[in-house]
Amino acid sequence: MNGLLTGALYAVIGMGLALIFGVMRIVNFAHGAFLMVGMYATFVLFDQFHINPYIGFLPAGIVLFIFGYLVYLGLIRPIRNQSHFMQILMTSGIALILTDSAQLIFHADYRQANIDLVSRVLRFGPFALNAAALVSFAIAALLIVGLTLFVTRTLTGQALRAISQNSEIAPLMGINVARIQAFSFALGIAFAGAAGGLLLPALYLYPGVGEDFTTRAFVIVVLGGMGSIEGAAIAGLVLGLAESLTSFYIGNQWALIVDFILFLLVLSFRPNGLFGRQRA
Amino acid sequence: MKRWRLWLLIAVVIACACLPFITQNDYQVRILFRIAIFAALGLAWNLVGGFAGQLSLGHAAFFGLGAYGLAIFTARGVPMWISLLLAALVATLFAAAIGRIAFRLRGPYFTLATIAFAEVLRLTATNLEITGGAIGLDVPTLFAGRSFIRMMYFAAVILALITFLINFATSRSRPGYYLMAIREDEDTASAVGIDTASYKLRALLISAFITALGGALYASSSQHIVPDDAFAMEISVQIAIIAMLGGAGTLAGPVAGAVLLLTASEVFKNQFREGHLLIYGVLIVLVVLFLPDGIVGGLQRLLRRRNPPGSLPGSPDVQPEAGA
Amino acid sequence: MSTVLELKNVSKSFGGLRAVRAASFTMNQGEILFVIGPNGAGKTTVFNLISGFLHPDEGSILFAGHDISRLAPHQTARLGIGRTFQIVKPLSSLTVLENVMLGAFMHTPSPHRAEERADKILDFLEMSRWRNFQARGLPLAALKRLEIARAMATQPKLILLDEVVSGLTTGEALALAQLIQRLPEWGVGVVGGVEHVMQVVMKIAHRVVVLDYGAKIAEGAPAEVVKMPAVIEAYLGPKYREMAK
Repeated sequence: MNGLLTGALYAVIGMGLALIFGVMRIVNFAHGAFLMVGMYATFVLFDQFHINPYIGFLPAGIVLFIFGYLVYLGLIRPIRNQSHFMQILMTSGIALILTDSAQLIFHADYRQANIDLVSRVLRFGPFALNAAALVSFAIAALLIVGLTLFVTRTLTGQALRAISQNSEIAPLMGINVARIQAFSFALGIAFAGAAGGLLLPALYLYPGVGEDFTTRAFVIVVLGGMGSIEGAAIAGLVLGLAESLTSFYIGNQWALIVDFILFLLVLSFRPNGLFGRQRA
Repeated sequence: MKRWRLWLLIAVVIACACLPFITQNDYQVRILFRIAIFAALGLAWNLVGGFAGQLSLGHAAFFGLGAYGLAIFTARGVPMWISLLLAALVATLFAAAIGRIAFRLRGPYFTLATIAFAEVLRLTATNLEITGGAIGLDVPTLFAGRSFIRMMYFAAVILALITFLINFATSRSRPGYYLMAIREDEDTASAVGIDTASYKLRALLISAFITALGGALYASSSQHIVPDDAFAMEISVQIAIIAMLGGAGTLAGPVAGAVLLLTASEVFKNQFREGHLLIYGVLIVLVVLFLPDGIVGGLQRLLRRRNPPGSLPGSPDVQPEAGA
Repeated sequence: MSTVLELKNVSKSFGGLRAVRAASFTMNQGEILFVIGPNGAGKTTVFNLISGFLHPDEGSILFAGHDISRLAPHQTARLGIGRTFQIVKPLSSLTVLENVMLGAFMHTPSPHRAEERADKILDFLEMSRWRNFQARGLPLAALKRLEIARAMATQPKLILLDEVVSGLTTGEALALAQLIQRLPEWGVGVVGGVEHVMQVVMKIAHRVVVLDYGAKIAEGAPAEVVKMPAVIEAYLGPKYREMAK
């Protein structure tokens, strides 16, 4: 049960990366670092203005959207047509800058946002559920549904899918490719940031907190099939479940290893993802 | 090798040999040691990342295996220098396994797979008893006595020199050309009869062997290792960035990168106690934006003529021929 | 006239799309043979099957008597099948000379010998003046020639030219066609081409094979084939059939 709850957050993180990596083909190694920035933003709101993280994640997401937009224009756009090699370097560089800036500003101390919701336990028959996890699950579910609807139902969302299919034909259909790309990069970052905010009550916060999430996000996108935002959502849930089952039956410390092994297996045997369609 | 280059190499080697006698300060020798080790690691990475163009961000796997191998084998009574060799062989075997899987993948998937392998090792080392868990293991010093760090430094310089010579030999031979062809376009490479998988694997095996030796030396100099250092993603990134900053695929690039980056981070570390990797991040971003071929690569490009002259029979706009 | 390459009932599908359907034809020693057909007829797929970049679902491909249908590209190359790519794939950051040397390395480990061989080929293709420049800045006509030069350097028995004149001006295309006719001087036994520039095909092909929707619909001397109703129909649609008659 807890697996599903974390899984929903993983889904949000993964969908954010699916927008950036799957759809825009930008290899974003800074995804977890942006998540960390979102966490700190939410933390500052909580610490200075006593805003509950479950509300604070929203302004944090918006700030991250703007931030992501600027990063895209300044650093990603100039190299978007270069090799993956360069993109990986650039985004690793950005990740280092973000992480170590956080270290300069907030130092390496572990921080925590204590809210009483975390200690409240709800009982449903045999299940004991953390109230905070339930709230974050509900918000995550809203975000997932919202993004799915946005991508499938709105004009911008359709333009975005058109670009992911074929970025050369899209402009002929009157799509402003440059703007949509900047927008979806920013949106992906915003989702990472919002997920960071939602994670704040559940995790200790320190500058390196995002690192595992970068790899996790890639695992999710690969699992879900490149370019599939819905696939990423499902894969996020699956990964959350797999991790909690591993923690429960084998041990907490092995959860991440299972992620990587799952990842390597999928890469070797199903390069189109667990749920991806076969392509010619 | 052109005559002046040979003399330059000899001069650099002599200078490297003299350096630790100029300073009596162990701390400074330690920095020199780190520069030499990372020059060797950057050069080893260069075989895979530079020549063959396969961006590995998992070299910490080999680095860590070398470090842990040395510690574990010596702890079981194997003579130190044989342990060193065994550790490197273990890393090479592991590289063969990684290569089998990862080289079937291209582009970002390859990079992700290398990261995943290194992370699996890090997490495994954190959780196993034989590796001492998160507490880590003690590593024996390869040299005894007061001037131990000086000896370590010389060992590192020799490793860097050997690796440089391997790079040099590669650049002048068929395997080197083959690796470059693989970097530029794998389809074209296989169309001229290159077994791309096999050449990539060979480059990785050599690279892993040297990286493991480097990791073992490094661990031996600090006398204790923990998984979060030996298998850290930071190590992988640092190795790759040293080579890229200097110029991936060039001979002098990784050396220049090691000198520059480690000196810069040393200075930065003294200024700020935390966040000293910030300088790495800023440098990477600047290099990608303005010097995509790295420092040495960028210089080479400046020296090279650019626009090819002339056109072919039947071409519409026959330009005046610049003497080529 | 001996058979160098033989396709027997070769089929290949991508998902639901049948790109090549039971195609059979031969390429013979001393011949210049072009595979032609409308866009999407499966021409390039046929070349990818022969050179090992794809493997047939059914049927077999024999080269000098050996079944090569399961071999990898580097293995077919080593057997003597050289190829160019329709979308040119130069090794961009290497020089023109180095690009060609890579082909020559198949027969010698010595950079010096490879360089000698490459220089001769560059001279033949009138590319010597670009020798020391990076491949990335070359005009298209030169890049197409570079593809041929690299394939020639491997000393192939069969060379597969995938649309080497498409995208060139008529003048450039005809100049190149003349050079292609001289390839046998270099020991190339068979020249196989995929082309849709008919002017060149008509001029230099000894024989053509026509594909439509992946199936062979005609084969023969170029002047005869273009008069066949099935070919006209494939290119122009059924209503022109009557006119042709």
